[in-house]
Amino acid sequence: MAKIGVFICHCGENIGAKVDCTRLAAAMGEHPGVAVSVEYKYFCSDPGQESVKRAIRDNNLTGVVVAACSPRMHEATFRKACAEAGLNPYLCEIANIREQCSWVHTDKDMATEKAMDITRSMVEKVKRNNKLQPIEVPVTRRALVIGGGIAGIQAALDIANAGQDVVLVEREPSLGGHMAQLSETFPTLDCSQCIMTPRMVEAAQHPKIRLLTYAEIESVDGYIGNFKVRVRMKSRYVDLDRCTGCGDCITKCPAKKISSEFDCSLGKRTAIYTPFAQSVPNIPVIDKANCIYFKNGKCKICAKTCQCDAINFEMQDEFIELEIGAIVVATGFQVQNNTMYGEYGYGKYPDVINGLQFERLASASGPTAGKILRPSDGKEPENVVFIQCAGSRDPSKGVRYCSKICCMYTAKHAMLYAHKVHDGKTNIFYMDIRAAGKGYDEFSRRAIEDDEASYVRGRVSKVWQENGKLMVRGVDTLLGRPVEIAADMVVLATAMISQPDAKEFAKTIGIGYDEYGFYNEAHLKLRPVESSTAGVFLAGACQSPKDIPDSVAQASATASKVLALFSKEKLEREPVVATNNEATCAGCWGCVLACPYNAIEQKDILDRSGKIIKRVASVNPGLCQGCGTCVTFCRSNSLDLAGFTEKQIFAEVMGL
Amino acid sequence: MSIEEQYRTRAKELLAGGAVKMVIGYGKGTTGERRRPIFITSPDEVERLVLDEACITNLSGYLVSEGLLSDEKRVAVFLRPEGVRAVNILAAESQLDSDQLVIFGFDVVGNEIKALKGIHVEEFADVIESLKESAPGVAKELLLEKIESMSPQERFSYWQGEFAKCIKCYACRQACPMCYCRRCIVDSNQPQWVNTSSHSLGNFEWNIVRAFHLSGRCVECGNCDRACPVNIPLRLINHRMAEEVLGTFDHFAGTSKTQEPVLASFKKDDSETFIL
Ligand SMILES: Cc1cc2nc3c(=O)[nH]c(=O)nc-3n(C[C@H](O)[C@H](O)[C@H](O)COP(=O)(O)OP(=O)(O)OC[C@H]3O[C@@H](n4cnc5c(N)ncnc54)[C@H](O)[C@@H]3O)c2cc1C
Ligand code: SF4
Ligand code: SF4
Ligand code: SF4
Ligand code: SF4
Repeated sequence: MAKIGVFICHCGENIGAKVDCTRLAAAMGEHPGVAVSVEYKYFCSDPGQESVKRAIRDNNLTGVVVAACSPRMHEATFRKACAEAGLNPYLCEIANIREQCSWVHTDKDMATEKAMDITRSMVEKVKRNNKLQPIEVPVTRRALVIGGGIAGIQAALDIANAGQDVVLVEREPSLGGHMAQLSETFPTLDCSQCIMTPRMVEAAQHPKIRLLTYAEIESVDGYIGNFKVRVRMKSRYVDLDRCTGCGDCITKCPAKKISSEFDCSLGKRTAIYTPFAQSVPNIPVIDKANCIYFKNGKCKICAKTCQCDAINFEMQDEFIELEIGAIVVATGFQVQNNTMYGEYGYGKYPDVINGLQFERLASASGPTAGKILRPSDGKEPENVVFIQCAGSRDPSKGVRYCSKICCMYTAKHAMLYAHKVHDGKTNIFYMDIRAAGKGYDEFSRRAIEDDEASYVRGRVSKVWQENGKLMVRGVDTLLGRPVEIAADMVVLATAMISQPDAKEFAKTIGIGYDEYGFYNEAHLKLRPVESSTAGVFLAGACQSPKDIPDSVAQASATASKVLALFSKEKLEREPVVATNNEATCAGCWGCVLACPYNAIEQKDILDRSGKIIKRVASVNPGLCQGCGTCVTFCRSNSLDLAGFTEKQIFAEVMGL
Repeated sequence: MSIEEQYRTRAKELLAGGAVKMVIGYGKGTTGERRRPIFITSPDEVERLVLDEACITNLSGYLVSEGLLSDEKRVAVFLRPEGVRAVNILAAESQLDSDQLVIFGFDVVGNEIKALKGIHVEEFADVIESLKESAPGVAKELLLEKIESMSPQERFSYWQGEFAKCIKCYACRQACPMCYCRRCIVDSNQPQWVNTSSHSLGNFEWNIVRAFHLSGRCVECGNCDRACPVNIPLRLINHRMAEEVLGTFDHFAGTSKTQEPVLASFKKDDSETFIL
């Protein structure tokens, strides 16, 4: 005989104000099989949980329904309480009468009726629940960090410093990401390279970190604690073990006119190259598309120059298979291409540049050795106009969101310019100045007060060239009048957007993304560094636009999540997995295809002599994530999901 | 020589030489205008084979009869293009190995019988492709046009009226080559999702479940429609679903023996952002 306990929570006013909990408790008390039905202000509180436990023990309950908030909120809480009282935790269910009832209704009577339906339906389900035992799976204690920007480096170092193995995969020839390109960084104006390079070196030399640069993730299979990852090592044409990084080949390479990606096309590089002087590893790669030998079959000057015989034109891509327990995704961002603003002339006038290009001009290691010189003629600009929100907060041409860092880096640029060109004049067109962050408002005030940046509130409508000047026309909305400025250089504060392959890559690793291609966290407030896929964590600007402090903080947070996961030898998994009825399975293999986790295999059923009688589907409980996709697909109704069996769901529906 | 005679001759050769163990074709039916499936295993019987415009039944369903193909011997079968499509789906869903089949392809155009070249499913790819091309344009039958011009309420009551006639004989299912499950969902009674009694809820449940199970799979051979003893126009439901699947997913059922099931597969460039 079922003895179900129903515990109705007021959730303070949240439920109590819209649902008559006393009436609900009385009605549930009458329902067949219910032994206890009580209400309380906060069942999730300590005394609340104690009362549930006491009720279980005193009445020998066979099942528990907590009518309260969403199961995402407190299912774990109450299941744990049940377990502590000796009841199998899977005999406890949550009836959601908050999000699905009190929060969305205004009429108390009707809301109460609906709460009764919801609760009754769960009581009927619980009567058919089975005791389930958690599944134990081993944990491979090795983390994979994807992306070697500041976020990826930080996560890798934190995990490695705690003594766990890390594989750090970067697709470019060097670690560093965008931070390596920056000149000085807000809000302290310390030199980006100077704080970045030691981190890069530390990561490369760390005994616990295996660094794979110029490498890409081919595929990710498996599940938390047990991922199988295939990495493609793109052929560098330079032997990593032989090369000493002397750079002779780079000096001698005759293909010198290639636009440098690292310098945002403001500088040139050779066909055999390292992206920048402090590259880690300091081993060049040959850019096949631009190499004279690969194009014409003649040259090989680099190979002749190299004293170490490190250059190998026959090199092929190689593949590495990795066993991984947890993944940190730190793939960063890109800056938007501003050519969509035809009126600003980006791409048309060489002296209209974006913020990242300005960083390269201001960087001591950049193409101008840190002098602010305009790209067209190499002259020092006397008057620079900065245009903020060139892409951000512009749903019509750019993106709807705020890129969060542009206000700050524009203030920084104005300061750097003032420090380098003492009598230069700066005008900044802005919509708002968003400077929330430690020391940020003070920083932007300094740009105005100490470095005399002149802020004009308003948008620019057009930039055109006239008599060797860039004419900038806009409005000053505070004074309510049009302004026209003759500038020598225009800098666009371009939006931060997701990587060009962000969505595709998300599908490769199996995580969710938003409409812009930024990766989705499991819960914006409470689980901001976890993806919705167990064992995959998110760090840095791949999740949303971020500055360095936030990227680093998030990276350390992912490290702590990874370390918590690695603190156990075995992982307990929810036993919510699918099973197949081999007698009724028609062997159509629809489920094999439908399963997003590749958890279903084909299985041969043999007779005594070893002859195949029949082929059926078979679910691997270690891989199954309990999503239920196969169950909905199977036409012969052969698949069933523990914890959500057809019988339970049917009873739930009929209970309504 | 008529096509009928040609095919008889070929059937005789195949059986006599042992190349196939059986020929599944059409024979005379109970009345002059009816044809029934016949299963011939001896060369002496080939004279019983008939091929005329009355041969419309899709015979592919017999190929999945338990044990028929498990000895890996070959079987010949008379198929119209719909039948070939059905074989492709059965092969794609691992119900048979199409290499075990020798196809006698034909089509009925007006009152004419036309032979279709080829003995393996692959050889009919062009025929099927042209069916796909012309699918959106095929002249709709009057009844379908009438139903489509109805308001949703009118349409609902139309189908309510039709389904009210259903006696749950499951003849539609037995006639359909795609309904090969050993245990159909209606036979599953723990729990009994689909009500077996012939009241309107149960009848709706049954016919809608079947429409869903056939979407992206039905080849519009008409077997179900002809089997239904109470003349529910089942072809219209399946035709509507086929249109929907073609329009939304560019999926035409049975184009090849490796075609992925439309409702269990996805493409990476599907627009839905919720797909991981
Ligand atoms: C113009 C400008 C100025 C800025 N100034 C400042 C400043 O002064 N102060 C400040 O705090 N912040 C500043 N920022 C922000 C700062 O650049 C970012 O916060 C920081 O770079 C984010 O680091 P990240 O590691 O998340 O991403 P990234 O730096 O973008 O690094 C991501 C790395 O992942 C790699 N990667 C991507 N996809 C893959 C893949 N599929 N497989 C392997 N590797 C992959 C990339 O090659 C890259 O190396 C500025 C940004 C811009 C655009
Ligand atoms: S979908 Fe169902 S019938 Fe088809 S193989 Fe899977 S379990 Fe078997
Ligand atoms: S419930 Fe089914 S589809 Fe989902 S992971 Fe498990 S086996 Fe795969
Ligand atoms: S549903 Fe009807 S028309 Fe479609 S394949 Fe089956 S029998 Fe043929
Ligand atoms: S053949 Fe007709 S009457 Fe029989 S079950 Fe199918 S739809 Fe109903």
